[in-house]
Amino acid sequence: MRNYLKQVGTILWKDLLVEFRTRERLITMGAFVVLVAILFNYATDWVRVSPEDIASGLVWMTIMFAGLLGVGRTFHLEAEDGAFQGILLSPVPKDAIFLAKALANFVFLYIVALLVVAVFIFFFGLEVGSNFGMLTIVIGLGVLAFVALGTLFTAVSTGTRMGDTLLPVLIFPLLAPVVIYGTTATSQFFSGRPVTEAEGSIRMLAAFALMAFFLGSWLFRFVVED
Amino acid sequence: MWPGTQDWGGWLTSVSVPAHPEADEKSSTNPVLRAQGLVREYGSVIAVDGIDLSLAKGEFLTIFGPNGAGKTSLLALLAGALRPSRGQVWLRGEALDFGEVEWHRRIGVLSHQTFLYGHLSAEENLRFYGQLFGLSDVDDVVRDKLQHLGLQERAASLVRDLSHGMRQRLALARALLHDPDIVLLDEPYTGLDPSAALVLQGVLSDLRDGRRTVVMVTHNLSEGVALATTVAIMNCGRFVWQGKRAELGNDFGQFYHGVIEGHG
Repeated sequence: MRNYLKQVGTILWKDLLVEFRTRERLITMGAFVVLVAILFNYATDWVRVSPEDIASGLVWMTIMFAGLLGVGRTFHLEAEDGAFQGILLSPVPKDAIFLAKALANFVFLYIVALLVVAVFIFFFGLEVGSNFGMLTIVIGLGVLAFVALGTLFTAVSTGTRMGDTLLPVLIFPLLAPVVIYGTTATSQFFSGRPVTEAEGSIRMLAAFALMAFFLGSWLFRFVVED
Repeated sequence: MWPGTQDWGGWLTSVSVPAHPEADEKSSTNPVLRAQGLVREYGSVIAVDGIDLSLAKGEFLTIFGPNGAGKTSLLALLAGALRPSRGQVWLRGEALDFGEVEWHRRIGVLSHQTFLYGHLSAEENLRFYGQLFGLSDVDDVVRDKLQHLGLQERAASLVRDLSHGMRQRLALARALLHDPDIVLLDEPYTGLDPSAALVLQGVLSDLRDGRRTVVMVTHNLSEGVALATTVAIMNCGRFVWQGKRAELGNDFGQFYHGVIEGHG
């Protein structure tokens, strides 16, 4: 078990180090979410709608699209000079590889998702108050589910002729529960409702995230083998 | 006429395939790496078509053949990177269970590609793989390998800043990092200038230390023959000639082309 965790940590650390040096994904995702928030701000008729009514949906859709930009490149650097094959030819269990790649994606996307929340709070003038802690947990659960499915399906789509196009087609239908429960819970927080009213959505989100992670770990080996 | 062109007896005597691998494991001439009836199909294309081989400790097999002969697929099957359509591979008498990751501890693979990360330094790349292989003395091993391959001066350089020859040497260091019993080399001379090829030749010569079993695929006839203890020529997924290096005459190039044309 200790060796397993060490291998997970080694791949995770490598991914973080490479991203720190290239800043390929974080900068792309960060720029994307800021621009989207600005555009939504100007595209919304504030006389007819109140920010609390639409902000949660826009936040989650922005996270989803930003996530696609980042997670979609999970194996791009790995493909450089066959490095991923090098990992597959090492004595590392496939689920450990999945875990490490998904955790790296989680770190990147969670940072970006918090940036999404911050820019929407800024541009839409939202009040979260004492619910901010719970909001970060809800965002974390949604991101966890997203990266679990995203890492798995990026492995499927990478190397296919229509990889970039295929990924959203594969992943968006499966992400419906994340958007539904994430939006519902976030909407409660933006409206200043008590946490107890969002408990059901949070539980469903947590269950879905857990299920996505276990399924991803189990199915990953079938995707990358051979 | 090259000896052995029609005669398969020499090969079969030296590296025969026993009917019962487990029984053979007990003998003093245990094969380290064995394959029997190895087939790999890609749809309707048969890349590897019923390969049998058996290699003892210290043996260095060089496989020659035209592009598309199935050499790289054969190496991938031996490395456990590809699932065979039919047939079986044994390592020290133990059948390869595809997907069993511990298998990889015993094998070092140098591919067409380096398996290195351009944005990590030479040292970071080796340390990364050393940790994946669970080496206890990673720092010492990495330092030794870099020194052995003449890369200690460039240890901190990013791999993308290294020349092709240096990257190839670093890739070899990565393949040998965990001191594998079996080394599989796929076109190690590709794209190297003469001086880099000379350095690589020295390192590959060191592999003939009697401890390792090496399988090398190459188009470089002279270097490939010079290193080999055993030679095979592959075409259309099969070994069309195989024999000991001692059986070969002076002009291997002419012989090779004759064999390929004869089995084209």
